[in-house]
Amino acid sequence: MLAVQEYVSLASKAIRYCFVRPFYVNDVIQQMDTIGVQSIPIVILTGFFTGMVLALQTSVQLEAFGATQYIGKLVAASMIRELGPVLAGLMVAGRVGSGIAAQIGSMMVTEQIDALNTLGTDPIKKLVTPRLIASLVMLPLLTVITDFVGILGGNVIASVYVGLPTGTYWQTVWEQLASGGFTLRYIPNDFIQGLVKPFVFGGLISITACYYGLQTRGGTEGVGLSTTRTVVTASIMILVVDYFLTQIMLAAFNA
Amino acid sequence: MTADNDRRSSGAGSGDERRVGIDRRTPVDPAAAAAGERVADREREVREAIRAELLVDMEEEARSGKATTPAEPVIELQGVSLAFDRPVLEDISFGLYPGETVCVVGESGSGKSTILKLILRLLVPDAGRVFVDGQDVTDVSYGEALTMRRKMGMVFQSAALFDSMTVFENVAYPLREHVKMREDEIEERVNETLRFVDLDPEQVADKLPSALSGGMRKRVGVARGMAARPKIMLYDEPTSGLDPLTTGTITRLIVKLQRELQVSSLVVSHDIRSVFRMATRVVLLYDR
Repeated sequence: MLAVQEYVSLASKAIRYCFVRPFYVNDVIQQMDTIGVQSIPIVILTGFFTGMVLALQTSVQLEAFGATQYIGKLVAASMIRELGPVLAGLMVAGRVGSGIAAQIGSMMVTEQIDALNTLGTDPIKKLVTPRLIASLVMLPLLTVITDFVGILGGNVIASVYVGLPTGTYWQTVWEQLASGGFTLRYIPNDFIQGLVKPFVFGGLISITACYYGLQTRGGTEGVGLSTTRTVVTASIMILVVDYFLTQIMLAAFNA
Repeated sequence: MTADNDRRSSGAGSGDERRVGIDRRTPVDPAAAAAGERVADREREVREAIRAELLVDMEEEARSGKATTPAEPVIELQGVSLAFDRPVLEDISFGLYPGETVCVVGESGSGKSTILKLILRLLVPDAGRVFVDGQDVTDVSYGEALTMRRKMGMVFQSAALFDSMTVFENVAYPLREHVKMREDEIEERVNETLRFVDLDPEQVADKLPSALSGGMRKRVGVARGMAARPKIMLYDEPTSGLDPLTTGTITRLIVKLQRELQVSSLVVSHDIRSVFRMATRVVLLYDR
């Protein structure tokens, strides 16, 4: 119970400090590079292979009904609504969450956090807020990349194994987007659903990692423990929160 | 406890479980003697020699100190107690006066470093008050505490340099953070500070802390602490884990800061030998 309280208090402070001077712009940019740009290769790889395997599996199922031309529709629906956000979230939780927890954790055990405090800097403002902002901005962007590369992977399989023309594939992708309806006339609802999720996941990952980082006690062993806890907790949170977000948004868009 | 009776109460007070002995520039003192009993016999001879060496110097300082009117303490603890699972500090009172170097000695685990955390308000005492520069900091808000801490420079036991920053950026950190200085002024101040701690700016400025030796890291830690020219310096075990030569260097550095910049220093240490070299007064923490 105390842990939940501390977690929430850390999160609310980190969010509040987004709007209070001084702003550590350099730190935000540096974190965007570490969290976002350096994660691009890993999400491209996971996205591409997931898209391919999705196309492969659905083609087998659809063949039974003679409906292989709908591969694009299925791949797009799964990637944009679910797999893109969740995969990007899990990969970033593993790659970035662990990194943040280890870095802040070792700063904690080597008294660097105390040093920040004594030099008159609020560690939450200097360390947590920049990471939160960077995650909130970068995770949706990474998800867009994952989605696109995943659908591209599906395209490759569709044309190579099933012999579906690329034009037909992308047409069914578009059909899927259009079938979900639009917000403000031009933005497919699937996009909104697929971008709200990574935004939330980004917040969860950075706050969880910073929380465990700042909780670190007891030398290098403690740092290892914090890292593990971060990855486990953040991954589980992503999967659980994803379910509830899906339920909320399905209700919202179908109403 | 006023400044006046603080000075009179020398050595072992009677009463509580854990007490503070206070010695105002008097080298042969019951409190210091009690400390002596705890160190090994072979240390005793060396200590006596150092004492004799410093005796003349200290008496002179004591006389000049008496000539001036008593000033307000820059740091004062009044009846401070703190307990975690067990009592760590009980009824601790002492003051740090302008321009002096007070060393807090005591066994490991006697709560020496906790005193520094209380002064920096990283911890809040269960009872008693803490004053910094005349301001009661016991109940200040987190934001006020951040501002208050800028009056003090802290040197950590492990130096606690920011390992993602170069030596230059480390020393420049307090200047960039709070002092409105132009970049060329900052560079000048950092180089000046590095030279003060006997480091060559050209050689070390661009290095990362991980590339430095323990003694050099410590000196960079001192440089970072004093970069904004605070009137108060706090040291947590400045000589622990260093070889005798480097210990001497750091000790001389602390004395140099006190003499040349009139900084008031509070040193937490269990290195009795260097304590006798640099202290103008010794505070002893002990169990009954």
